[in-house]
Amino acid sequence: MKICIACGMPMKTKDDFAMGDESKDYCKYCAKPDGSMQSYDEKLDGMTEFIVKTQGLDKEAARSAARGMMEKLPAWQN
Amino acid sequence: MAGSQRQKQKTETKNFLVETAMEQFGKRGLTATRTADIAAAAKLSHGTVFLHFPTREVLLEEVIGAFGMRTANRMHELLDSECTMEEVLAAHLKGIEENEAFYAVLVSETAVLPEGAHNTLIMIQSAISHHILQVAQREMNAGTMKKMPFDLLFNTWIGLVHYYLSNRAIFAPDGSVIARHGSRLLTHFMDLISEKGGLQK
Repeated sequence: MKICIACGMPMKTKDDFAMGDESKDYCKYCAKPDGSMQSYDEKLDGMTEFIVKTQGLDKEAARSAARGMMEKLPAWQN
Repeated sequence: MAGSQRQKQKTETKNFLVETAMEQFGKRGLTATRTADIAAAAKLSHGTVFLHFPTREVLLEEVIGAFGMRTANRMHELLDSECTMEEVLAAHLKGIEENEAFYAVLVSETAVLPEGAHNTLIMIQSAISHHILQVAQREMNAGTMKKMPFDLLFNTWIGLVHYYLSNRAIFAPDGSVIARHGSRLLTHFMDLISEKGGLQK
């Protein structure tokens, strides 16, 4: 099973892929409306917001955690 | 050819050490396990451990990272977009139970561990909270679940489960806390959040 290079989510069904395109290496949550992959800053903002909303963390703590998670993902290795 | 064979063997030994360390950390605790314990359990020399991991901290970080990726992926595997809240929470408990020993020591000792350990827990939580959020939105809209802030919904569940895991010595001294108490915790939580009381399908 392919794993999204930008957020680490396993892509189980066609629907999980960006634009439903299984040749893509990133998921629908990491795609912009035009189908291209979000930038580092866009993804960092999105992940931070998600962690605050679902886990209630302090915003700066959430940003630091999001940065830590992204460090380990193939899309952000440079 | 010999070079790539050596490389393969090196990777295999490293992976084996990570697996053995995960077992030992789960058994003895993250702060209490010594590299000598890991070497002995792996039947390798103490020096071999340091050949692959320059310090105990590097090894611990590698083990926590590997565990985090594995658990987060497993949570995603167990779930799909059509799951009910009860199914999501049951899958969450199943995912924890499969690696309960390590998960429990991670939860219990996070406060005294480096930032990387915190991030790993948040990553695992994110994998499950993603599914809880989707189902909660659907069930709150359908009126089968009480309306409440998502973070409190999630943290109330996590608080309950983690409390039992952190205190497993008093809740299930002989075995798995999840096997012994999981279904009661799930039924109770569903009662708390369901709009009309009782389990929602």
